[in-house]
Amino acid sequence: MELKENMILLDQAPATKKEAIRLAGELLVKEGCVDERYIDSMIKRNEDVSTYMGNFIAIPHGTDEGKRFIKKTGISVVQVPLGVDFSNDEQVENLVTVVFGIAGANNEHLELLSQIALYCSDVSNVAKLADATTKAEIINLLKEVG
Amino acid sequence: MDDAKNKTSLKARIQKLGTALSGMVMPNIAAIIAWGLITAIFMAEGWFPNKQIAELIGPMLNYLLPLLIGYVGGRMVYEERGAVVGAIATIGVVVGSQVPMFLGAMIMGPLGGWCIKKLDSIFQDKVRSGLEMIYNNFTSGIMGMLLAIVGVYVVNPVVNTGSMLMGEGVDWIISVHLLPLANIFIEPAKVLFLNNAIGNGILVPLGIQQAASAGKSVLFLLESNPGPGLGVLLAFTFFGKGNAKGSAPGAAFIQFIGGIHEVYFPYILMKPAMFLAVIAGGVTGTFTFQMFGAGLKAAASPGSIIAILAMTPKGSYLGVLAGVATGAVVSFIIAAIILKHDRSTADEFEAKQQEMAQMKAESKGKETPTNLAPADFSGIKKIIFACDAGMGSSAMGASLLRDKIKKADITDVSVTNTAVSRLQDEPDLLVVTQVELAERAAQKTPSAVHVQVGNFLNSPRYDEIIARLKTETLINEETGVEPKATTGSELELSNIKEINFIRHDQNIGTSTMAVSLFKDSLHKAGKKVPVKAVRLDELVDSSDHLVIVTKEAKKNLDIRYTKVQVLVVSDLLTDEKLAQIIAGLA
Repeated sequence: MELKENMILLDQAPATKKEAIRLAGELLVKEGCVDERYIDSMIKRNEDVSTYMGNFIAIPHGTDEGKRFIKKTGISVVQVPLGVDFSNDEQVENLVTVVFGIAGANNEHLELLSQIALYCSDVSNVAKLADATTKAEIINLLKEVG
Repeated sequence: MDDAKNKTSLKARIQKLGTALSGMVMPNIAAIIAWGLITAIFMAEGWFPNKQIAELIGPMLNYLLPLLIGYVGGRMVYEERGAVVGAIATIGVVVGSQVPMFLGAMIMGPLGGWCIKKLDSIFQDKVRSGLEMIYNNFTSGIMGMLLAIVGVYVVNPVVNTGSMLMGEGVDWIISVHLLPLANIFIEPAKVLFLNNAIGNGILVPLGIQQAASAGKSVLFLLESNPGPGLGVLLAFTFFGKGNAKGSAPGAAFIQFIGGIHEVYFPYILMKPAMFLAVIAGGVTGTFTFQMFGAGLKAAASPGSIIAILAMTPKGSYLGVLAGVATGAVVSFIIAAIILKHDRSTADEFEAKQQEMAQMKAESKGKETPTNLAPADFSGIKKIIFACDAGMGSSAMGASLLRDKIKKADITDVSVTNTAVSRLQDEPDLLVVTQVELAERAAQKTPSAVHVQVGNFLNSPRYDEIIARLKTETLINEETGVEPKATTGSELELSNIKEINFIRHDQNIGTSTMAVSLFKDSLHKAGKKVPVKAVRLDELVDSSDHLVIVTKEAKKNLDIRYTKVQVLVVSDLLTDEKLAQIIAGLA
């Protein structure tokens, strides 16, 4: 699968991680990938086990139970240049600048996800994603890998 | 002491067997209900007889249900491949059998899965790339064929003989007039899905003979009495826990009113001690029927309370209802005692879990450096990343580690990802999870080596794993960068009051991240200097401010500001000068 422009939101400023997850989830809903209820499952999953991945990225996705709300595979991108904290702990700051919302059915998303993982394992690359000013730039950056 | 130990391990083993058996049936409850409804509604004696639809009954019972059970049984052992081989093996016992082969399916399904798993463990590494598809399909196909043949010649006769013996036992008990004891055979046989064999094969023909002369027969009630099953389901409704508790009321309705006894069998298999409850309930019920001299005019099928009352002759209502009620009450009481007794140990388990959760909360956020130390990495062949849904985090981690392993030229280790609930215990396995899921993963795969990570993307664990795989000795990571005295010496760091990164439209994200990283490093070094990202025109021109910029931004800075100290770096996030600055700060 490929990343499409209408799955990307640039320059967002969510106040909380919940809001950030909701933004990523709503993109998935809007493109017909998931049911509204999937968003709640994404938020719940993040409360159970954080989807913060390190290197300023988070990949919110649903719980095992939430899988039934997935209609088709999709990955959304929400850029948060000023960052949003994904930590559950007052003492710890887990700042996230790029949020990847994930709805995975039949493992179709794995290829794109592993591209994202490889790319984002270098923090300078995440910085490029966080600085991008057009959607095409983000798509091109992620294409570079592999 | 030794004796007690053996006892518990035997108990654990029986419980494990029961869980496995019910695990094969539970996912197929829907198919059983579909079959039961079709039977109850459309069979010749049903509520709306329909010959054409009724043709479904036989094939569904004899083929569909056993094959589904065999499929799920195979899947429990070895995923999709095991499932397919399990189903092929099952058809071997199904075809030509005299009774519905549920028991045979419960043997052949897991056996099929196990056989192909073993075969794969021997051959799969040796398959040349490009030939995997051929290998996979032909090995499963041939293995399935062989097992199906074994099913026809070995397992089928064994199970058939077993159920025949069971039937003969019932036959004999009836002949010596110890009727209530027949339930000792009937109830367990029912749960192993031999209910139709016993009901229609033995009891009904004998009952018809009796009814022909006496106008009614108690034999029709032995197997169809819904009381004992109802008792168990009600006990689960009130005293059960989790899934079983939630689904029990619905099952009770389907069983008692709908007459589909099959729905309660998994609950018994889940807790084999429940056999006692249904046996006692069945014996009591039959004893009560006999005391009242109750009987039915003809076979009540399905064994629903409605069908039974419809077949009750005038004058027998009290006896029939009393038998059903006593059966239910007795099995309810015994089942309740079993569940209550069980609960005390369950509470202990929960308490222990809470304890673990507390410990975890205390250690949260810290990746303990000793994590890898005690484990033995020799012989690891397979690494599985496990997360809650198997959808995102674990997939990312797996692709990163796969990449690192490839770069390290390690060839004989596979890296995959899955959901924790689908983990399977096997030798030579390394399981990587997030801290929060470690406990569940450890329960699922007790014999595997476990590694916990905090950050999937940049965990130092990955390099440790690679190092251990390569040398099997832990490499002590040198985390701190040694400060070099050369760079940064021109800066006057001791009186710095604030550190600034410059934010402009093209680097908003980077500046955010740079501040966060720098703060984090400062925090780790135990130093407290404010760090801020500011716009170029917001900067305070003072020598106690240190501005960190890239070469491009330095030009603009020089035009406007003269007093601030400036550090030029090639990369705001990873430049090693940053670490030197931190070392030099007051």
